[in-house]
Amino acid sequence: MKRHEQGCLMYNRIIRNDISKSKLITLTTMIFIAAAAMLVSLAAILIVNLSGAIDTLMKRAETPHFLQMHTGEIDTSRLTEFAQKNSSVDKFQVLEFLNIDGAQIKLGDSSLADNVQDNGFSVQSEKFDFLLDLDGSIISVSDGELYVPVHYMNDAKLGDKAVISGKELTIAGFLRDSQMNSMLSSSKRFLVSANDYAEMKSLGNTEYLIEFRLKDLSALGAFEAAYTAAGLEANGPTITFPLFKMLNAISDGMMIGVILLVSVLVVAIAFLCIRFTLLAKIEDDYREIGVMKAIGLRVSDIKKMYIAKYAVIAAAGSITGFALSFLFKGMLLENIRLYMGESDHSSFASLFGMLGVLLIFIAIIAYVSGVLRRFSKISAAEALRFGVSPEKTAGATYLRLSENRLLNTNVFLGIKDVLARKKLYATMLLVLILSSFIMIVPQNLYNTISSKSFIEYMGIGSYDMRIDLQQTDRMPEKAAEIIQRMKSDSSISKYAVLTTKTFRVKAENGIQKSIKVELGDHSVFPIAYSHGRAPAAENEIALSTLNADELGKTTGEHLTLIIDGEEKVFSVSGIYSDITNGGKTAKAVFNDNSANMLWFVICAELANKALVDEKTAEYADRFTFAKVSDIEQFIAQTFGSTIDAVKKASSAAIAVALIISVLVSVLFMKMLVAKDRYSIAVLKALGFRNGDIHAQYMARSIFVLIIGIVLGTLLANTLGEKLAGTVISSFGASTFQFAVNPLAAYVFSPLMLIGSVLIATIIGTSGAGQVKISEHMKE
Amino acid sequence: MKKVIIGDRIVKSVGEGSDKRNILDGVNVEIKEGEFVAVMGPSGSGKSTLMLALSGADRIDGGKVVFNGRDLSSVGENELADIRRTKIGFVFQQPTMLRNLNILDNIILPSIRDNRKNVAKITEKARALMKRTGIAELEKRDITQVSGGQLQRAGLCRALMNSPAIIFGDEPTGALNSKSAQEIMELLGEINTDGTAVMLVTHDAKVAARADRIMFMRDGTIVSDLKLPRYDGTNMNGRMEKVSVKMREVGI
Repeated sequence: MKRHEQGCLMYNRIIRNDISKSKLITLTTMIFIAAAAMLVSLAAILIVNLSGAIDTLMKRAETPHFLQMHTGEIDTSRLTEFAQKNSSVDKFQVLEFLNIDGAQIKLGDSSLADNVQDNGFSVQSEKFDFLLDLDGSIISVSDGELYVPVHYMNDAKLGDKAVISGKELTIAGFLRDSQMNSMLSSSKRFLVSANDYAEMKSLGNTEYLIEFRLKDLSALGAFEAAYTAAGLEANGPTITFPLFKMLNAISDGMMIGVILLVSVLVVAIAFLCIRFTLLAKIEDDYREIGVMKAIGLRVSDIKKMYIAKYAVIAAAGSITGFALSFLFKGMLLENIRLYMGESDHSSFASLFGMLGVLLIFIAIIAYVSGVLRRFSKISAAEALRFGVSPEKTAGATYLRLSENRLLNTNVFLGIKDVLARKKLYATMLLVLILSSFIMIVPQNLYNTISSKSFIEYMGIGSYDMRIDLQQTDRMPEKAAEIIQRMKSDSSISKYAVLTTKTFRVKAENGIQKSIKVELGDHSVFPIAYSHGRAPAAENEIALSTLNADELGKTTGEHLTLIIDGEEKVFSVSGIYSDITNGGKTAKAVFNDNSANMLWFVICAELANKALVDEKTAEYADRFTFAKVSDIEQFIAQTFGSTIDAVKKASSAAIAVALIISVLVSVLFMKMLVAKDRYSIAVLKALGFRNGDIHAQYMARSIFVLIIGIVLGTLLANTLGEKLAGTVISSFGASTFQFAVNPLAAYVFSPLMLIGSVLIATIIGTSGAGQVKISEHMKE
Repeated sequence: MKKVIIGDRIVKSVGEGSDKRNILDGVNVEIKEGEFVAVMGPSGSGKSTLMLALSGADRIDGGKVVFNGRDLSSVGENELADIRRTKIGFVFQQPTMLRNLNILDNIILPSIRDNRKNVAKITEKARALMKRTGIAELEKRDITQVSGGQLQRAGLCRALMNSPAIIFGDEPTGALNSKSAQEIMELLGEINTDGTAVMLVTHDAKVAARADRIMFMRDGTIVSDLKLPRYDGTNMNGRMEKVSVKMREVGI
């Protein structure tokens, strides 16, 4: 037999023996590697498809290279002249965008009232910037038809009726908009025929999209400068081709980012699995390694034997992961296909996926090789003599058994061991800190947003019943009817009517945008203001946090609204949290008779709170045109899906945290027992029972657990609260504090973690009982 | 005189099936109260295995071991541990100490398991033993900060803490220089004189020559049992001579 064949046979035997001896952990490691490989492969496939699909979409739609949005007067002939004179311009056009508030748009049964987008209507363009159907062809739209952005695909069905400010249209299809497809783009374009557009024109505000295609995209910078220098229309944002591209990429890009992030986490767990099993194996084989070194085998030869096993596991995992990625890619590509269409060069995708998997494989082997570096530190003589690796354990000398009056001897030895070998326990501590952190933060977040006090962030006062009136004709009369009834209802102690209307507001740079203002007496059901107070005078206005940030206004500053075509200056009286209506609202008390009314809210407080259900039912029965809800219902309706999602996420987080802690604890304890078997043998020889030894390991676990849980909980309440606060404030809350359920967060969660880790410790240290005195004490 | 340990046809085997082989092949041993016994034999003859079997540190596959009148094969793991801790002392060739405890803590470790409340008394006893063995000033030292001989004395202190009926020593002087070895043997002699039985496994004829009785082992059986008069500090050369003759006779 040739030498290398012999070598192969030997490796085969070693690998097979080793894997059959540790099936479960081998399988676990393989599963994590497979998961990591799958995720990375998916990410690679998605990246290729996404960039391809974006290119295809933007090519077919002929996305403008330069877009200037503009509101107000427009001088088209001046623009045309500029376009003709500028040599880099290929095509030029001005499109109209008819901005209509979401509250006036009803698609089938669903209204866009709560929608945060700027929704607008357009006709199909003639030259470029085409709106495409789901097959990627340019749509030609007939009278009475409406094409809806794919963004609203879940809200509307083909053939449904759509009602826009009273005008009825039929939904004829869905459109892809290479400019405004993205969730992050704040506007959405609906497509109607030129005739319908002309009819609708009076229903909203017209914005202009001034668009250019250049002969050569590289001239974009110079063109932008020329446009600005010419002092042309610029009352609105400017968007260029690369930005469109980024906007299109960003939401799927974020998904890819999340996948990559998760894969990093999975790889980290796989590394931990490998690290602990490998270290345990090295401890087990310490003497053999010493022998191999002593008889003159090179470190690299010895390493090969160990790497071979992991090469097999990593290869199996990588191949499985790659195969799995094909199973799941359809699901994840769905969104890209829907929003962007097919990519022209998706065949590269698999190749990139394979490269990603290869990367994982190489990373695993490199890591194993890194862990095995400690082979070179093993002294053959010491290995042969002691059979276990020497360790610096001179820490925690201040803890003396002879001075210990407090702790049980086993507990004392457990704690002392942790303190003496801090570095060794750091990994486990870190995992436990992280676990208790990810157990507590989502839980607290859920508890906060589901608590009644969360109402304070919703920009509504504390009342019992709420009647919403919107999207119906004769709203003021109907509201009056309800109020009439309330006046004569003795069970209602007080009530208030709030009318929401939209106005144009002039922002700092002269750009106008629409703002929803709630008018009425805000003193009946006061809300909490983070700065200032409620508007009291006619010329005062209070802003929600998000609006205040966007407009750059603080309490005491001035703000100009355009009411009935006239500018009127208001002073900002206060700022409050509001996470309803996209977080962008305002409150004022002035009288206004214009007709741009969006909705009415009538709130009432009952003299007897026990009657809430009864009264809600009574009013709902009587005023069928209105939506009557008690306040808890309202919260559930407004936030129900978010609360549910957070609840699911928090349960998932608890499960993931527990699984990871158990896995890591089992492996860590196994490694520890392998490392400590000499000490275990000593203790046994001296007459310590197996129970004593288990108790010592339990004490170590509990000690590390307590530190981990305390630190994790502290972090959750500081860093975690801040993190959750950032998320919540993006919805519009100004200040944020966790509403903690102490029983769940500080009793049940830690108990669950302690329980799981202790069970893991029992499993992980079961080998301690099998350590034989004779194997370590005979010379 | 009362017998501390009786080993009756002890069998201990390793391997399975056709590879199976007896390390102890029907060994009969008796150790009386206060007796000093040495076991000699070539490597692999079963000396250490015998010691571990007699001390209840390892289970046997045949025969029985009776310690202070109790059959160890009928005793559970926990009780076996209790017997090792409270009735038996061990001294090994290598210093079997816990690396993260100092010398004093290592010495009191087995005693303190049961009586944490008496830690003051236990510590006092340990200090007395350390003084007797000449390592009084080392109590706060780390085990890596003292010499092999000093460690072995500490091991001896630990073995004596519970006033055991017998001390087992597996080559207790094997890793020491001759001066340290000499001192350890003096101490063991003193302990034995105080009434504690001692059983030593050794290669060293000089060590064995101090015993009252020397058992010679080969291939898992005792091939010869040499009785010597009680050692009184004199005639070491004569005793050595007898041991050497016997060693040649049994072929060790």
